[in-house]
Amino acid sequence: MSKVNLKINGKTVQAPAGSTILEAARLAEVDIPVLCHHPKLANLGSCRICLVEIARQPNLHPACTYPVFEGMEVQTESPRVVEMRKFVLDMLFSERNHHCMYCEMSGDCELQNLAYRYRMDRWSFPSPHPHMPVDATRKYFLLDHSRCILCRRCLRACSDLAANHTLGVKNRGADTMICADMDLSFGESSCVSCGTCLEVCPTGALVDRRSAYMGRTAEVQRVRSSCAACSLGCGVELVVRGGQVLRVESDWDRHNEGVLCVAGRFEPLEQTREKITRPLVRRDGQLQEATWVEALDALVSGLRQAAPGGIRAVTSGAVLSEGMNEFVNFFKGKMGVPVHLLEPALAGSELAADGGLKDVDAADFILVAGGDPLASHRVLGYRIKRAIDKGAEVWLVSGKETEMAHFAARCLGLAELDSAVAHCMESRSPVVVYGADLTAREAGRLARLRGKARFIPLAPSPNGHRAQVLGLEPAAGWAGAKALFVLLESALLQEGWLQEFRRPQFLAVYASCRSPLTDQADVVLPALQWYERQGTFINMEGRNVDVHQAVEPGGEGWSVQKLFDRLSGCMT
Amino acid sequence: MFTKILTRNFDQPDLHEMEVYEKLGGYRMIRQALRRHTPEEIVQMVQRSGLRGRGGAGFPTGIKWGFIPRNSDKPTYLCVNADESEPGTFKDRHIILHDPHQLLEGIMVSAYAIQSRRAFIYIRGEMAREAAILNDAIAQAEKKNYLGHRIFGEDFDLQIQVVRGAGAYICGEETGLLESIEGKRGQPRTKPPFPAVCGLYGCPTIINNVETLINVPHIVANGPEWFAAIGKDPRNTGPKLYGVSGQVKRPGVYEFDMTITLKELIYDVCGGLTENRALKGVIPGGSSVPILLPEEIDVAMDFDSLAARGTMLGSAGVVVIGEGTCMVRVARRVAQFYAFESCGQCPPCREGTAWLHKILQRIESGGGHPGELDLLAEICDNMKSHTICPLSDAAAMPIESYIRKYRAEFEEHLSRPGCACS
Repeated sequence: MSKVNLKINGKTVQAPAGSTILEAARLAEVDIPVLCHHPKLANLGSCRICLVEIARQPNLHPACTYPVFEGMEVQTESPRVVEMRKFVLDMLFSERNHHCMYCEMSGDCELQNLAYRYRMDRWSFPSPHPHMPVDATRKYFLLDHSRCILCRRCLRACSDLAANHTLGVKNRGADTMICADMDLSFGESSCVSCGTCLEVCPTGALVDRRSAYMGRTAEVQRVRSSCAACSLGCGVELVVRGGQVLRVESDWDRHNEGVLCVAGRFEPLEQTREKITRPLVRRDGQLQEATWVEALDALVSGLRQAAPGGIRAVTSGAVLSEGMNEFVNFFKGKMGVPVHLLEPALAGSELAADGGLKDVDAADFILVAGGDPLASHRVLGYRIKRAIDKGAEVWLVSGKETEMAHFAARCLGLAELDSAVAHCMESRSPVVVYGADLTAREAGRLARLRGKARFIPLAPSPNGHRAQVLGLEPAAGWAGAKALFVLLESALLQEGWLQEFRRPQFLAVYASCRSPLTDQADVVLPALQWYERQGTFINMEGRNVDVHQAVEPGGEGWSVQKLFDRLSGCMT
Repeated sequence: MFTKILTRNFDQPDLHEMEVYEKLGGYRMIRQALRRHTPEEIVQMVQRSGLRGRGGAGFPTGIKWGFIPRNSDKPTYLCVNADESEPGTFKDRHIILHDPHQLLEGIMVSAYAIQSRRAFIYIRGEMAREAAILNDAIAQAEKKNYLGHRIFGEDFDLQIQVVRGAGAYICGEETGLLESIEGKRGQPRTKPPFPAVCGLYGCPTIINNVETLINVPHIVANGPEWFAAIGKDPRNTGPKLYGVSGQVKRPGVYEFDMTITLKELIYDVCGGLTENRALKGVIPGGSSVPILLPEEIDVAMDFDSLAARGTMLGSAGVVVIGEGTCMVRVARRVAQFYAFESCGQCPPCREGTAWLHKILQRIESGGGHPGELDLLAEICDNMKSHTICPLSDAAAMPIESYIRKYRAEFEEHLSRPGCACS
């Protein structure tokens, strides 16, 4: 790539041709302030805070959009530039209600930081204190128009990243307001609570309700981890303070590029289930708290009574690889007991899992078969919608009513799968997204596309891929089982599972939360909470992703490894 | 003595009918252009003619056309700016109302020159009648295959589509116009990239004013030298339409070369002020240009002479203001317009226009504070050339000039409530 030589504040810089002044300044370690610019969003150039002076040009120009040229000389903090920035800040502070000490973002606010940097010690214009509405109709976050500076980052995140197009602007001039859909309340709107807008807001206009006023950037820790709500394994940062996870933010450097979904960002912290923090053992028909020694004793005796041949073991596909390995080693390897998977598995094990979100971006045709990414793997769904915005064609083959149907160019029944396959053969860079609704026969038809298309499985459980590698299959039933061990962790039981469940003589459950299943158990072993565990799982791209412990365990929960390490000792 | 060129047929009845227009020599120039000239030749002719854009900025049209990248694999679009929403301006509307085919012919020749097969006329939403006239004229032309595939039997295709605006001033700004045609919220785009490279739907696009385009066939028919000889100054060539309104006896649209002075326009052409009142000031080029005092009106109505007087020819919408009009009120009204029309993207404009209006409203109603005139001047100064588009400048420049030139009147408003003028 050709390079361009320029000077920024007298400092010589070499920047790739086509870069903006802002990008060149970052190479030169010159800090140009920005408000409407965000590295992951398309540049708008509207906030005017990044205006810089270019030698021999009469006007100031926005650094975030102006391309560099050979011999360019830029001044980023000249008196003229500084005067302009102060004026812009004066205008912004005079427009709504920026009373910093009452704002959740105080200390972390990009507007406030700029006011500090440019030494604003007073209001140059009297703030008119207009009555600005607060839209609190959304469950997890609110939009306070008092703090909004109309930078439109939220709007661009909503359209360009999440491809949901909920946010827009209404009115003109000083009456301009961010609005949802055709001026609906946020709650009534088409918002999907992905929360991407929250992360890009430079001020306190979009606020996470749960973690508001619970800690500033300097007071919290951030733990990089992966979301285990589905098999996408999106990059997350857990924001932690005082042994508590305050909120989940996204890791902008991972494949999800800053986007999460409601199931990964908000719902994990909306824990309404009762946590299990100590071992429980059934005595006189009642589950009672016990020590780990008592619980292990009860477990060992329950298993011994059923052995040999009467034991069954089942694990959730949400369990991390290390735990799942240990579980299989113990039951299958040491005890010769068959191990099953709790959740349904994906048909079509012959299909590869070789596609990723980048392939969706580059696809000209996307075939979604037997699943609804917008319900089960939402970030993938958003990415597909993004591809549609950029011109990709999406065909949906499904036997059910799905959200994705609203966005697909064609919706076909499963019987018409072959015509979709034929269309796929004719496209340039197709991607096939396949889900659990496909039968083995239907999946077999997709196999024709191997080598032509990239495949993305919608695995029904986050670590379903590992389960597949380990050869685990869904259980056909529990007939004949005298003792059953369920490795549940924090997984939710599928609807209908319990109706068909026949309790064996002895039931042991390893779980982090109380559920109808743990209520029937003879022994309940406390698992780590989702933010207490450490390990890896295989995501939909077939890649190992890390899950990091964010908080020290608060109860007596053990990791799966520790449990089976101790149990091995007891059984020999 | 100047002989009318652009408006010469405007008195003819039913000029909007194809037969009438053709009988008067219409659609001969496009035939000539298609048969005798290459597109490149026409671009060069327009460059040599010295034609400058009639929309407001006065940028040389031929040079603008030359910015279109050669050998682009994308189509080129021609957008006709018929938004004409600048207060005091009504010349383009006059052209469309009287002579729609002349505009179509201008579009045809220009589209051929820039090799565009698709032209859009973006017309102000309020001009419903004019839009209907244009659509009718286009239908007539399509019927005769003057538009469509292989027009006039030559190897050139052209479609023209009328797009009606929804009433936003900002859609007269060329990139706001493009956004609006694309069906988006009308707000200007950051430049670069410029529309000639990346315009409508990301394709090379030329945006020209209605009056600009109707000059083009005449340049092709009579030659660039003929055009350049109209007027005295080689930088201000060709005929020009002036729309005069306000307190004059005969307001209207008048065509002259650019040697005519503002004084002649007001007193000789328009018969002076109503009730023979004294002149207080003149806005020479639409509401966004600085005002001229009575002693400043002996000035040629061309781009450069007016610039030398610290104002602009702009859209050549002349607004005449007589004695008895309160300048604070004029300022407040102009500020109100721009505050209402700011698209709301850039803080200096969004809030600057709002503050100008708020403060002027206060001063007008007698609630102003001493020092606020300097504050207004400071806001105006910071609003200029600091935004994506020139609306902010357009709002600041006139206010600045009113305060500078009628300062005593503003100060009087500060010192006591009520207005001495009314």
